[in-house]
Amino acid sequence: MLLRASGQRENRDYNLNAVNEGDSDPGVDHASHLRLLTETAIEGRWEELAAIRDAATAAMGEQAMVDTLTVAAGFNGITRVADATGIPLDPTTQQVTGSMRAQTGIDAFDYAAKSAQYDLNDRHQQPARHA
Amino acid sequence: MYEDTRYSVNAQVVERHGEAWRLIATPGAFWSGAERVQMVAEARAATVCRLCTRRKAALSPFAVDGEHDAVSDLPPVLIDMIHRLRTDPGRYTRTVFDAVLVAGISRERYIEAVSVVNAAVIVDTMHASLGLPLPDLPTPEPGAPTGQPAPDVVDDGAWVPLTRTDDRTATVTGLPGAPNIARSMGCVPSAVALFFTAFRGHYALRDIPLTVSQAQAEFVASRVSALNQCFY
Repeated sequence: MLLRASGQRENRDYNLNAVNEGDSDPGVDHASHLRLLTETAIEGRWEELAAIRDAATAAMGEQAMVDTLTVAAGFNGITRVADATGIPLDPTTQQVTGSMRAQTGIDAFDYAAKSAQYDLNDRHQQPARHA
Repeated sequence: MYEDTRYSVNAQVVERHGEAWRLIATPGAFWSGAERVQMVAEARAATVCRLCTRRKAALSPFAVDGEHDAVSDLPPVLIDMIHRLRTDPGRYTRTVFDAVLVAGISRERYIEAVSVVNAAVIVDTMHASLGLPLPDLPTPEPGAPTGQPAPDVVDDGAWVPLTRTDDRTATVTGLPGAPNIARSMGCVPSAVALFFTAFRGHYALRDIPLTVSQAQAEFVASRVSALNQCFY
């Protein structure tokens, strides 16, 4: 979550709420295309993506479109590493991003909060059989 | 990889994805090359698995029982873990990790599976995003798992021990020099190497070597984190 750090380096004030709010403008260039490319790819809506790639290419150039998807693909993997290992925040990261996490609602993704929301307490989960 | 596309994919990404594919097919520290390739096949099968689809639609992913549309003879608990991680990472909880351990699969074998699956997620997402067919599964190299020397790890608040570090100072990015995500698979150093072989060309903490700006990359990264409900 270094969008705010980028803003500080560039002396710009990006809208962090756009990370978790579908229709907010973060203030970065070509934000609507970045958002559409990212969401469609991560949600695996491949048939829709062709037209979205074309529109993004027309607006921001083909290489920027490809590189947007490059970043998205990488984070589609690394977020799963974090999700699967239960790593806590680094103390310095906590310090730097604490208020931003509260502001954007990321704190709701805390591992304990997820367990409380999704785990079933009255029956311990069994792995599914496989066909 | 990427020979049949009109798009210009970053050269480092192309090279590293090819290397990751080769590494997946080689025996790891705790799984054979054949088993590692089966993990990739299973992750792909998850995307069209009927049980995973039903679970994804449920209020709790643990509320729906059934049989996965599996394509391998990996242990059932590992198949379940791979399908959940591939299709519903935002609702992946410690319960899944604990079930793997209870079934007798060590945390090291779990970590190696996490690395293989997520390296493949990166490669497959990149291909599918560009409208390319997924690359053929690599041909497994023969041989037993290699084992490994005892890694230098420490319990540091994660589900698994993390690579030991004394570097807690913040860098210019605000993150520590050795962030927990880089330490998270420290139980299996070869798993760290595999995953970051696949990942490294996709992002940098500053001066990103792509045509998008750092701020654009951070917005995309943050949006993916939100979509996958990633706390870290």
